[in-house]
Amino acid sequence: MNVIELNNLTKMYGKARGITEVSFHVEEGEIFGFIGPNGAGKSTTIRLLLSLIYPTSGSATIFGKDVVKHAPEIKKEIGYLPSEVFYYDNMKVIDLLKYSASFYKKDCTKKIKELAEIMELDLTRKIDDLSLGNKKKVGIVQGLLHEPKLIILDEPTSGLDPLMQQRFFELLEKENQKGATILFSSHILSEVQRLCDRVAIIKEGKIVQVEKIRTLKENNYKKFKIETVSKVPDDLFSRLSGVNQLEVKGNTISFIFRGNINLIMQKIAEIEIANLWVEEPDLEEIFMHFYQREE
Amino acid sequence: MNMYLHELKAYRKSTIIWTLSLIAIVVLFMSLFPAFSRDAEDFMKVLEGFPEEFKKAIGLSFDTLATILGYFSYAFLYIKLCGAIQAMNLGLSIFSKESRDKTAEFLFTKPVTRTQVMTAKLLACFTSLILTNLAFILAVFGTVSMVKTEEYSGQALLMISGSLLFLQLFFLGLGVFLAVLLPKVKSVITISLGTVFAFFMMGMISSSTDDEALRYFSPFNYVNDYYIIEHLRFESSFLLVGAVIIMMSVLTSFLVYRKKDIHSI
Repeated sequence: MNVIELNNLTKMYGKARGITEVSFHVEEGEIFGFIGPNGAGKSTTIRLLLSLIYPTSGSATIFGKDVVKHAPEIKKEIGYLPSEVFYYDNMKVIDLLKYSASFYKKDCTKKIKELAEIMELDLTRKIDDLSLGNKKKVGIVQGLLHEPKLIILDEPTSGLDPLMQQRFFELLEKENQKGATILFSSHILSEVQRLCDRVAIIKEGKIVQVEKIRTLKENNYKKFKIETVSKVPDDLFSRLSGVNQLEVKGNTISFIFRGNINLIMQKIAEIEIANLWVEEPDLEEIFMHFYQREE
Repeated sequence: MNMYLHELKAYRKSTIIWTLSLIAIVVLFMSLFPAFSRDAEDFMKVLEGFPEEFKKAIGLSFDTLATILGYFSYAFLYIKLCGAIQAMNLGLSIFSKESRDKTAEFLFTKPVTRTQVMTAKLLACFTSLILTNLAFILAVFGTVSMVKTEEYSGQALLMISGSLLFLQLFFLGLGVFLAVLLPKVKSVITISLGTVFAFFMMGMISSSTDDEALRYFSPFNYVNDYYIIEHLRFESSFLLVGAVIIMMSVLTSFLVYRKKDIHSI
């Protein structure tokens, strides 16, 4: 069964682009990643699903029900964590969570305590006084306290320290094992890779690709930057297959590599280097690749 | 119910402050009445020199100023100004705060319809205003009975002070309407002060010219206190126009709010 289904969903802001004819589906029980650079339309898509905004054309269903017509009914089973959390000032954390719980017709006290413990959230503090990371935790507890069947996360990790990020991911995996479907939007490839089964890649309001994470992992992109002690021949790396966007500036060589990482390490071992950076390429660079392949 | 109580609680402080301010104005004005009525004739002489239009504009009526009701009506003009700002602030603020404080993502992703949200908010506004008015009317009757020098019509006093609620509903409706219609309300107080003062000026102009048509554009003059003192009834045509405007603004707001895109930031 498909929990989420989008059919040519389009949103225009006047003449400005929101998203154009976005179609994909999320199956029950999967963790679905939704990645794209800032301004690509991730939040727009999510806001359409939550009927915060209404589509210009096309449609979407959640649990088989139209998101516009059956919005309140659908939302009973959705937990949502926005990218930026701003909650009513002048409230204590526990008051806000209780207010949030009061919208669902079930007792959430136990779950609130449990979640707050996992996320190390002090329930007695005032929301005003919380740091960004702690506010984010309030958002997480708020989004999960009613044990939703569908969890929608919009860039959820910003502001969380690595330890908390880890706990949060474990929490999500546990909810997923209990049967929750998760839509996880992010612009950070690694966290999507870590968590998701499948991903949809969105750019400039259009879906570029829907792929299994396994496939993406096989496309193991790495960004290399090498500073050599002395000048090396220009074509040292260019003849290697899998090297893209090669740039040589004096003693600095940079490129994106995809393929067997051992080959490139052997090549590097042959020369004397002063410094070496190996990084995850950012999405822009991966997208360049997607576009190149299309042409 | 939870949303209603939440909103009521959120505006508790501001409702209390506004109510206390209104009461303070009443007490301040009315406490001056004994001194004023003692020297009423001297005051009159000074005021007589003012141009007729000016006197009308600021709400002075010579026939009645020396009586307690006439004096109260004069003070009431400024109480109305204050009350209008309160109501407009409330309506504008409560319906724009989700997008201003960025709490829209919280509220509108809950299993509630927009209509439910709006109803809860409107009821909370209504309750706040009713409470303000009850406290205000009690304060009016309390102070008036303390400073009165002769008997007065309690019914007229009740009708005049009760008309504050009517005026407040008008500005509440206007505030709600603007909050829903404007894409973004950055500063509540600027819009509400601007609008209320514009209508207040219009009211002054309309008072000074006695133009009946102009009066329809000045909600401050829908209820004429001196007419009440004389006839003990409201002028139904103005009441009707006011009621229609209130209903139209609330109804339009409902329709727009249901279809409105809630934007982030």
